[in-house]
Formats: sequence, C-alpha cells, structure tokens
Amino acid sequence: MASFPGAAAPGASRALARPRRHRPALLGLAGILPALVLIVGLILYPVGYAIWLSFFDKHSFFPQERWIGLGNYVRLVGDTEFWDSLWKGTVYAAGTTALQLVFGVAAALVLHRTFRGRTAVRALVLFPYMIPTIVAVIVWRWLLNETFGLVDHLLVAWRLVRQPIAWLSVDHIMTSLIVMSVWQFAPFVTLSVLARLQTIPLELYEAARVDGASAWARFRHITLPQIRAVIFVVILLRGIWMFTKFDTVWLWGEGAGAGAEIRTLPIYAYMRTFTYYQAGFGAALSVIMFLLLMMATGLYFRLFWRDEEVT
Amino acid sequence: MTCKRALAFALLSALLLTAASAGAADKKVVRLWQTETEPQTLAVLNEMAAAYEKTHPDVSIKIEGLAWGDLEKKLTAALAAGAPPDAAHGQPITCVSFAAKGLLRPVEDLADSLGKDNIVDAFRGLCRWQGRTYGVGHSPASSLFVYRKDLLTQKGLKVPKSWDELIQVAEALKETKDGQVVRYGLTMTGAPLFINIGIGELLKTNGGRLFDDQGRPTLTSKPVIELLDFYKKLNGVLPPGWTGHGYLDTFANLANGKAAMLYQAYGRGAGYIEKYAPKEIADPEHFAVADKLVGPSGKSPAAQLDCEPWMVFKDAKGASEAVDFLKFFFKDENYIPYLHSVPIHLLSIKKSTTKNPKYADNPMLAKWRPWVDMQEKYFKNDWIKPVLVTDWDDMRKPYLLEVMGSGILVDMVFDAVKGMPSTEAAAKAQKRVEELLVQSGYLKK
Repeated sequence: MASFPGAAAPGASRALARPRRHRPALLGLAGILPALVLIVGLILYPVGYAIWLSFFDKHSFFPQERWIGLGNYVRLVGDTEFWDSLWKGTVYAAGTTALQLVFGVAAALVLHRTFRGRTAVRALVLFPYMIPTIVAVIVWRWLLNETFGLVDHLLVAWRLVRQPIAWLSVDHIMTSLIVMSVWQFAPFVTLSVLARLQTIPLELYEAARVDGASAWARFRHITLPQIRAVIFVVILLRGIWMFTKFDTVWLWGEGAGAGAEIRTLPIYAYMRTFTYYQAGFGAALSVIMFLLLMMATGLYFRLFWRDEEVT
Repeated sequence: MTCKRALAFALLSALLLTAASAGAADKKVVRLWQTETEPQTLAVLNEMAAAYEKTHPDVSIKIEGLAWGDLEKKLTAALAAGAPPDAAHGQPITCVSFAAKGLLRPVEDLADSLGKDNIVDAFRGLCRWQGRTYGVGHSPASSLFVYRKDLLTQKGLKVPKSWDELIQVAEALKETKDGQVVRYGLTMTGAPLFINIGIGELLKTNGGRLFDDQGRPTLTSKPVIELLDFYKKLNGVLPPGWTGHGYLDTFANLANGKAAMLYQAYGRGAGYIEKYAPKEIADPEHFAVADKLVGPSGKSPAAQLDCEPWMVFKDAKGASEAVDFLKFFFKDENYIPYLHSVPIHLLSIKKSTTKNPKYADNPMLAKWRPWVDMQEKYFKNDWIKPVLVTDWDDMRKPYLLEVMGSGILVDMVFDAVKGMPSTEAAAKAQKRVEELLVQSGYLKK
C-alpha cells in the first residue's frame, strides 16, 4: 500500500484529527480563561465567601468562627436598626434616582439643542461626575454650612428664609445628602440619554413638524419612546448604585452626630463589621442587601420590561 | 539592530529595577499611624524620622497622620485585613481592648526608657492589662471650657459653674440683629467621638457611671437621665446645626465670634484663635478658661483626657524597630520640637521635659499660660479620664471600644435631642448595649 509522505495511517488519522478538531475550542477557552479567572476570583469567590461568612459568628479580626446557621438572619429580623437603615436606604435611593432622572433627562434635552458654547456647557455639566467624591463632599459641606455657607447666606439675603437652614443637622441632613447626590450623579443620566438622543433620526421630527405636531407632542410621541430603553437601564443602574452607595453617604455623615439620620444599609453593614466587630452579622446584612436588589430587579423587569425595548 | 537595541534597553532596565528593589528590600519599613495631623507636627515627625534613618540606614520610618475620629475604624479595618501598622496611636480604651485581645506587644521597655517615675503620675497606668504596660501616651491634654471673658463682663454675667447656669448664661449671651442671630451663647460639636467624650465627661461631673462593678450598663440611672435632660436643654441654646458641626467648626465659631463659649475645647484652640480671631482680642484675657461645670447630682468637675498611647502590634515585623524609634521620639531634642508644634495642646508626659528650660522657652506657652495651668490642675487633681471612662476601674473593661464604635450612646443622645423622653432613650440604649455585650460574649444574659 502506497502512502504519501506525511500521511497518517487510517487508524491513526482519527486519533490525530481529534486534537486538531478540539484545538480551536481549546484556544477559545484559553482566550476567555483570564476573564474566567477574574470573574471567579473577584466576583464569585468574594460573594460566595460573604454568603458562607453570614452563617458564622465571626469576629472581624480574629480567625476563630462559630457556625450558627441562620442565626444572623434570625437576629436581623428582630433588629430595629436594620429596618431603620433599610428604610433610610430606600428613601435615599428612590429620592436620588427619581431626581437624577428628572434633572438628567432635562439637561440632556437642553444639551441636545444647538446653541453657542454647547460643547463647553456639555463638558461643564459632566464636571460633577468627574471630580472625586471627597472633594465634592467637602465643597458642598462648606456651601451648606449654616454659619459660613454661601447657600444660607444667599437664602437669607434674598429673604427666602428668615433664619439660616441647618442643612447638616438631624432635621435636614437627608435632604441635603439627596441634593448633593443628585448634583453629583445626574450627569450620568444626562450622558446616557444625550448619547441616545443623538441617534434619533431627524427625519422623524421633520415629518412630525410637517404633520403639525407641537413640541410636547414630538417629545411624547418621538423622543420618549426612543429613549425609553435607555431610561429603563439608567433607572436600574442608578437605583442599584444609589442603594449600595457608600462613599458619599459615609463622608456626608461622618464626623457628625446627625450621620445616624442617613445610616443606610451599606453604612450599617460597615458599622456592624468594623465598629461592632461582627463580621458574620455584617456579611448577613450584605447578603440581604444583595437579595433585596435581586428581588427588586426581578420585579422591575417583570413590571416594566417590554420586548420592543431591545433596540 | 533595532531589536537588539530594544532588548539591551529592556535588560538594562530590568537590571536597574532589580537593583533598586533589592536596595529597598534591604531596608525594613516601619509604619507608624498617629493622630497629630497638623502640617507643622507632621513636618517635625518627618524630620525626626529622617534623623533616625541617618543613624539607622537599614530602617525606613513611614509616619502617617490619621484623623482622630477615623483612627479606630482604620485600625480595625487594617487588623481585619491582616495588615496593621507596626505602631499606632489609639484611645486608651482602644489600647486596653487590643491588649485584652492579645494584639499588642508589651512596651515596658519603652516606659522604662522614659523612667517610670518620670512619667506624669496620672498617666502611668494609661494602658495596662493584667499587670503589664501596653501603651505609653505621646502627650497628655485636657479638654477645656473656654469662654469670651469680655462678652460676659459686658453683660455683667458670672462664669457658669453648674449645668443650669451654663444654659442661663448661654441664653443671655445670644445676640441678634435685624432678627438674625449673629452670635450664639455656646458652641459644641455633634461629632460622634465628641458626643462619646461628652457623655463620659458630663456623667463624671454628675456623679454617674456608665457601667456598674459587674460590668452591666447603668444607662437608666438618675445621672444618665439628668444628662439626657441636659442635652435637651443644650439643644435649645446651641446653633441649630450643631448636630452636624465637626470639631474644627466649633473652634471656628469661637475664634470668629459666632459663639461666645465652647464647652469641649482643647489647647490646640489657642492656635486657631491666634490665626483666625481679630488680633486685638486673640489672647487668654479675652478667650479665658474656666473649670468644667458640675451636674445636679455631682460634686466635682471633670474633663476628658486626650492622650493617645503609642501601641506596638505584637505580630508587627518592625515591632522592635518601632519601639527603638519611639525611644528616639521621646528624647528631649526630638520631643520638645514635637510638643512645640502645637504648644498648648501637646503637653509633656515626661516630668523632666516640663522642667527643661528649652521646653519652657516658647512664646505661645508663655502667652497662653492660663490654659496650660488649667490643664495641669486637672492632671494633678485626677479630674481627667479617657473617653467613656468615669472611673479608672473602667479601664479594666475591654469592651468600651465596641460600645464607643457602635454609636449606641450617640444615638441615645440624639434620640433625646429629637424629642424622645430621656427615660425612653436611656432604656432603648440600655437594651442595645446589653445586647451588644451579650453578643460579644462580655455579658451573660
């Protein structure tokens, strides 16, 4: 039997062909391996460890731990501080997300129009989102200081209020935190909506104008449906991010007794872990926060998701 | 050719990097966290570190300034991450708590190097656990009651001596113009650490305690209820935003005339007054100090001891080097410039340094002598205690750190201030502290 140089015997050809067939798959696997390692190492392992830890009575910096099963979760149900922080976190997340949406969309609509200096204004609008949180917090704390702050000075000078408002006191600290957070994070909404607005075909508006549609009608029947998908995603993301927001809330309340008025769930989880030294309980709080967000996200999709939003 | 050049360059770079990292690896890095964050103090400490490194070329001293209110949280986070510094400041109750948990290295060698009889008597037992010394205070200071003497004189008011008198004088000192308040009678901070300090200090002046001999909280006792009633009254005379005012805000209020009295002042306030008050009144004749006030159930005044002990962590790789550096720190040629960086606040823990003419040779110390004398009076009379400590025996309770960190006492005060009856706020806090101590294993149900 003649054979060509380099040709494998019939029996051997199947064996050799198999690795060759699998090579692309292996290459593909090797390609995604770094991403898999990162996902497992940086997401799945910490989440899994937090869930595992939540079943233990564990001091924050001692290796000893005691299995207590669902003990932390049972304790949590009867913990008034937990319910209080959950309520405060919900108020903060809902309040800031709603206001960010209103101001962010409004700003995007304005910035979508053509006017002189639009590029500069667009850059300026993004400024709050780009500066470090600590800087934003310090500046706003100065602005809102009722003894030296510019805001109260103007309010009193313009006779809008008789006495300065103590923005950072127990009575107003949540309001001032929401105002500051909206200022800081609304540019994200603006940016997202503006990007979508720029892709809406102008012909749609021209046709509507020809048909005699008013500005409101054009917004309602063209702009709003076109940006609905973006708004859907933006509400979801901002809602999650505001509910889990730590740095801004912590810095706003840190150093002030009124901070208890803005003790949201992430802050409470941090406190349990690092000031009560109850790492297990802190982990249980984090797991609950995660589950609550999962449930809220599921509900949100069920109530508001439409197939046509896949655009 | 280009490839060869690139390869040669890469090899050379790698060699240089290796050499540099090997040089750095030869040095033992000793990290110290401390709470004196004023730029001039940090400059002195960095100079001190550089001077030490000259004689110890194998050691690199890294000193980091941390905000007072953040210290415990950052230390805890670092411990949880398994990366604490080699040495750090801590509240005395932090030091005891860490010592009880076996986290600290005894520092008798450091205390001995200062001379045990040379340490100011009141501060020898600042951080002791089971008969051993685990901390040596860097510099003691007492909280102060500061008032505008000129304003009291103008209005014919006497310096208050009791809680009730403080409220009356604060109301009388309040000034309005065109319906606007231009000066409040009193300023205090709402910062959690200072509320904890205030609770300990005021309770002590009211003859009360936070814990009984068995370690059970006593928050529903009469002195605590009276204390909460007092906070309600304070809320009526303090600026409306006081709950959001930080420690430095209150110094600013006093220095620039927005407030006439500051109850929780400290020696460093003299520096702020020098800097921010009008020159013609920036002196102790206008900004005078008086004894702390006595509560309705109390007999003697009390103040808070501000004196963080240096703690050295047991498992620190540079523990011995840290102790050696701290011995260097306490040498007069290094210690005096450190104390002079905030002269009225950083007083000497060593008797010998106080007597050193070089130490006394400081214009601020001479000018603000009444402020220093007042603090020394409290040291001598043993009227000062660390935060949350109303009796030195409390230092044997290793859970005060957890109680402070939990914020339960701060919540109790703010519950009362927001309108909850004092008895109810106290009962709520009592229950929470008991739960905390039971959960932490310090108290049986």
